[in-house]
Amino acid sequence: MTALTGTGPLVRLALRRERAIAPWWILLIVALGLAMVAYVNRNMGTDELKLTYIDIIRSNAFLQGLGGASVEPRLDVLATWRSGGFLYVASAFAAVMSVVRHTRREEDAGRSELVRSAVVSRQAQLTAAVLVAAGISLTAGLCTAVALIGAGLQPLGSFAYGAAVAAAGWVFAGLAAVAAQAARNARSATAIGLAALAAGHVMRYVADASGQQWPKYLSPIGWGHLVRPYQDERWWMLGVSIAAGAVLLAVAYRLLARRDLGAGLFPERLGRARAPELRGPISLAWRLHRSLLAKWAAGVAFFAAAAAGLSPLARDLLSRPSLVVDNIRSLLGMSGTLGAYSWYLILILAYAVALYPVLMILRLRAEETSGRAEAVQATPMTRLRWAAGHLVVTGLGTAALMAVAGLVFGTLYSLLAGDLTTDLPRFFAGALATVPAAWCVGAVCVLAYGLLPRACAAVSWTAWALTAALGQVAGPLYGQWGGSPLEPFHYVPNVFTATPADILPIAALLAVTAALLGGGLLCLRHRDFH
Amino acid sequence: MSDAISVTGLVKAFGGTRALDGLDLVVGTGEVHGFLGPNGAGKSTTIRVLLGMLRADAGTARLLGGDPWADATELHRRLAYVPGDVTLWPHLSGGEVIDLLGRLRGGLDEGRRAELLERFDLDPRKKCRTYSKGNRQKVALIAALASDAELLILDEPTSGLDPLMEEVFRETVREGRRGGHRTVLLSSHILAEVETLCDRVTIIKDGRTVESGTLAGLRHLTRTSIQADLAAPPRGLADLPGVHGLRAEGERVWFDVDTDAMDTVLRRLTEAGVRGLISRPPTLEELFLRHYDRTGASGGRHVGAAR
Repeated sequence: MTALTGTGPLVRLALRRERAIAPWWILLIVALGLAMVAYVNRNMGTDELKLTYIDIIRSNAFLQGLGGASVEPRLDVLATWRSGGFLYVASAFAAVMSVVRHTRREEDAGRSELVRSAVVSRQAQLTAAVLVAAGISLTAGLCTAVALIGAGLQPLGSFAYGAAVAAAGWVFAGLAAVAAQAARNARSATAIGLAALAAGHVMRYVADASGQQWPKYLSPIGWGHLVRPYQDERWWMLGVSIAAGAVLLAVAYRLLARRDLGAGLFPERLGRARAPELRGPISLAWRLHRSLLAKWAAGVAFFAAAAAGLSPLARDLLSRPSLVVDNIRSLLGMSGTLGAYSWYLILILAYAVALYPVLMILRLRAEETSGRAEAVQATPMTRLRWAAGHLVVTGLGTAALMAVAGLVFGTLYSLLAGDLTTDLPRFFAGALATVPAAWCVGAVCVLAYGLLPRACAAVSWTAWALTAALGQVAGPLYGQWGGSPLEPFHYVPNVFTATPADILPIAALLAVTAALLGGGLLCLRHRDFH
Repeated sequence: MSDAISVTGLVKAFGGTRALDGLDLVVGTGEVHGFLGPNGAGKSTTIRVLLGMLRADAGTARLLGGDPWADATELHRRLAYVPGDVTLWPHLSGGEVIDLLGRLRGGLDEGRRAELLERFDLDPRKKCRTYSKGNRQKVALIAALASDAELLILDEPTSGLDPLMEEVFRETVREGRRGGHRTVLLSSHILAEVETLCDRVTIIKDGRTVESGTLAGLRHLTRTSIQADLAAPPRGLADLPGVHGLRAEGERVWFDVDTDAMDTVLRRLTEAGVRGLISRPPTLEELFLRHYDRTGASGGRHVGAAR
């Protein structure tokens, strides 16, 4: 009888459950790696362009932070410079989610009790989870390396890059293993893991942006960048990651050996004894979803601040020839002003915020499938009022997020490169003008939810992904499909520029949104509730 | 005969609350043991300690001759468990889960698996998320019963099952007993189930054992209800020791009597002349209610001799 007893079948169980999740992560990582090679080839075909690009990077701290400070005018280095910041984080993110999914979430769901009553050692679930998470990271790293070699990059550097991607997953698998033991429940374990990931990323970013190297050595995400693939391949940095992951894992096993099933190091906090303000569908929806909105608001504020931070650079950039900037400018029909750049960033934020109503509709569906909605609707609250409560919070939440984006971006931009009295109202109005388009994306999801509840998740994700892909952000980057009339943001009037805004497209978007919402709610009212 | 489970003075605290407060439990090998108690009495906590998922703060617990915490994995080879609230992986089918749990326990009897699926009328191809509570319960029951475990730990195993399926469950447990080597610890609220299946019961409250023994032995401790039609109005009945809750309407009386006072009381009744007599032994339910209602748990009473 060993500590490994039962690990084999549990690994198979975890793989069986990962079969619908892990391939997407691997695909995302490999695709991002390849996309950046294509991007550099397309936009920086000549050495001259590459040198210009490097100059731009070196002259701005924010860009320097984006992909790491050490960049050379070569295809492989530039491509990994662009993708590295994403790939290490994506690999770590997948590992955190996977480890928590197969350890603490199983405990919270009560399934661990059933599993551990069998001939399964206390360590087996954790071992299986870490093995599977590490396996996914390793596969992602290996596939990336092979894909990059296939794309014509040098093999040694490609393997170093793939190994660094895998190593980031390994460290964070170890970290998530500790978090799963220490946290109160699966949700806080995920939060601890992702907070550590965010902290690691910020430390690495700050180190590269400021030129101070030491925070980079403290950040597990920094260790990936420090491997320096295609430059001098510092393999020993991989050893640091592997050792750190192993130490974390050892700590996790120690904690596991002394804790009760379902208990963490911190006791569960008590909630309130009464809920005087929980009266109707809106207050219920607000209570259920306010923490998600708060997290989104923090994220939006962070990216709006980063966008504003880039604006001094944009001013310099506009005097130089650049394929990307020219593309954007011509597509948005603007002269070479900072306005085009800022409007472009507002649109990026708007496309991201359009995901919020999508997630909220998916939560609505989850309320239904979990049976929680059934309990609520067994009261005099009608199905329509229940759904309307969620939709009100969703709609106002979406508007609030764009308001935050406009306020933060506008204020910081004014302080860095503009004027508070004229720029802030412009940014605010510009941001709010995108709200009807974001609502429209959400309304498509509502229709899907009412009409095809089982396909709701698939349709919703597709609706958002198509909107973003066909839209004005991805289009100019790749010089194709830009501004397709098939997506709602195409019709968003540019209130941002001085020209008087056309109200008609906004009214039309609102009408379409209302029609979709009405149709969705009508279907919801007449269909079976599962 | 050695004991399959022996627990003495078990204490488990969660923060400030003592879920178990000196609990005792003895289950002999081969017996079916009923484990009763109100919600929150500590039944599931005890079971989790026995399964090595919680570590006791004080007291001793022995399971199949081993230590439930230290030897958990080794012991689990010899037992099967059905939780009270079965949650399964929503995307796996019932058949997949049964195979998985069977494999984790070290294999299951294929013939028995097929037979149980048939008897419990479960479609193993359906995804777990489409199962009702009763059907999820069946999945866990089939996985446990198809194993050749010498100890079954069942935490309210029939909650959610329809009466027909309850009967199937009882039959399978009885059949398992006939072999004489299988021990069952059955935590339940369904007293009829406990009465028909169990050799002995333990009643706990507030983390302590309040009664333990055979059903017959426990009945000795309680009162018999009597209704009698007498020839003449009764006299002096209320003064007899062991008579409780006397109520009289003309010549008819109702009262409860302690088992050891039965002789004296009946003699007094026949003196008055008995025209009709209905006597009802205490049901497990009454036993149960008496202890549930009792405020301030006693230190635990045992009818050890009854075994």
